[in-house]
Amino acid sequence: MDVNPIVLLGAVIYFAIIFLIGWYSRKASMDASDYYVAGRKIGPFVNGSALAATYFSPASFLGLPAFIFILGYPFWWALVGIIGGMPIATLLTAAPLRKYAPTSFTDYYADRYDSKWLRLVAGIPTLIGGLAYVVLSIVGTALFLLAILKLNFVASVILATVVVFLYIYYGGMVATTFSTAFQGIAMTIGSVVAAVYVITHYGGLNGLTDATLSVSKEFFNMPYVADKPSHALMASWTGVVGFFFVWHFGFSAMPYTVVRFFTTQDIKSARRSVFWAVVIGGLMYCGLIIIGTGARVLIEQLHPLMKTEGIANAVDVLKHMKTAYGVAGATVTDYSMIAAMEALNSPFLLAIVAAGGLAIAMATASGWTMVLNVLLGRDLIGKVFGSKWPEKKPVQCTRMMTVIIMLVCMFAAFNPPALVLDISGAAFIVILCSVGPPLILGIWWTRGTTTAAIVNILVMTVCSTGSWMYAKYKLESYHWFFLSNPDNKISTPHQFYWVFVGFVFFIVLSLITKPNKQEVIKKYSIDLRPDL
Amino acid sequence: MFKGMPKIFWIGMAILYGWTFFFMFLEMTIPGFPLKQFFGVPACYIYNWMGALWLVNILVSFIFFKSEENREAKLENEKT
Repeated sequence: MDVNPIVLLGAVIYFAIIFLIGWYSRKASMDASDYYVAGRKIGPFVNGSALAATYFSPASFLGLPAFIFILGYPFWWALVGIIGGMPIATLLTAAPLRKYAPTSFTDYYADRYDSKWLRLVAGIPTLIGGLAYVVLSIVGTALFLLAILKLNFVASVILATVVVFLYIYYGGMVATTFSTAFQGIAMTIGSVVAAVYVITHYGGLNGLTDATLSVSKEFFNMPYVADKPSHALMASWTGVVGFFFVWHFGFSAMPYTVVRFFTTQDIKSARRSVFWAVVIGGLMYCGLIIIGTGARVLIEQLHPLMKTEGIANAVDVLKHMKTAYGVAGATVTDYSMIAAMEALNSPFLLAIVAAGGLAIAMATASGWTMVLNVLLGRDLIGKVFGSKWPEKKPVQCTRMMTVIIMLVCMFAAFNPPALVLDISGAAFIVILCSVGPPLILGIWWTRGTTTAAIVNILVMTVCSTGSWMYAKYKLESYHWFFLSNPDNKISTPHQFYWVFVGFVFFIVLSLITKPNKQEVIKKYSIDLRPDL
Repeated sequence: MFKGMPKIFWIGMAILYGWTFFFMFLEMTIPGFPLKQFFGVPACYIYNWMGALWLVNILVSFIFFKSEENREAKLENEKT
């Protein structure tokens, strides 16, 4: 397969638009407030589109279709769980956090729990999750560059790192908010156009369903009511419900989305931003479900590589890509979405999808890198360890952090530890079960204590990461309950139950430890709630 | 806990989770439920793909921000 000029042109146009947005907004990001929180002047539609583009990553654009490809119809509910978690954030965290109007994610922990050391403690799971997300964003950008330029995977990773680095280096939150809003539109157009192509190709939804069943008879099987499940992980309700909850609360408590609530003009804009994020993101997800459902049949019926000797099915096509382009680890399965688009043999379609894919990957990488920049520079070096550098020269400090983060993540991206959606799931669970309870209950429960926050963050970080890795090591998948009997494994995707355990643990610890000062509770809990 | 949370939040949560788990339950108790024809297409495209994934969430996020804006406007009027 050679480089197609139309696909290349699509990428060039995309980069030209991003460059122009960055160029015109560059003057707006020269002081610290503008650089970190866009001067708090972003309207609801722009912020909503930027929220959607930042929240959804290559884990969505590549990973969700790949998981539908692997697990079948029951995994559709995971996508419902992700979008379904977004409206909840409107009243749970978006409005209260905009009322509080901090600069950084860890500000809330330091203020509500009245200790600067909370910045360091809350920073641990945030750093783990954040680095994982930058890695998967580089991998996603690399896979789309590979699809466009037909480069080797290692060269694609290096190029992807340079592209993402330059994008973040020349703009703070202002440049990235406007360009990210454009990226939100681009990714949605890419997904919807692709879905329309797929549905049209099979003559409607009935045709697509029949074609899917022709290559995968168990695709639509649900647990308990079919002879054979769509996949072993989907053989019980815990698998279906578990995948629903893995990413469900992310929009309310993940740092890279929470910080976008800080950038809105006011509380009203923060709430309306969520509505627009649901409209834009939900539409994109509708497209991704169709792409994932049709991926196997499209590849097996139409992909040009199916004519190659020795290739008999979709998995063989992906294995061929692994060999031909040196795609590392399990990542090659993430290429199934792009392979399905290649199968439709339309350079125009591939150009739009590749531009959408680059958009979503770069938006997430920049969103997370900004969170990590502020965490490492302003919060840890400045506020915890007392250096004046981040305050006096915020842009220089942030750019230095960007260099370090990008280099670390580039080396990890050469050989990704898992599929992009698996990396995403692990990052979500470690953050949601550790820093999620002190954030949400910190706002909505006056009894939450400093000791409980510290212990919960540390214990849950160890429990979630430890059980996730143990399950992979002992049971060969992150999705089995880590203490399962190997002969009778229980499906608990990404050890999702730790999120619920974390909330219970935080409540119990708070009830048995010393309450915080009343004035602190009033200022950072009671006063942040809606005026009655 | 959750003192001061607007009532509409709990109504929205009931709609979101009610819709999702009701259809999930039907799927796990009625064989072939996702593929039963409804409005001329497999039912899963109506209640899951369009309903649960998009329309219900748009509805709930709309009523969340709208009801809060109405409530705040009412409070403002009472003050003035």
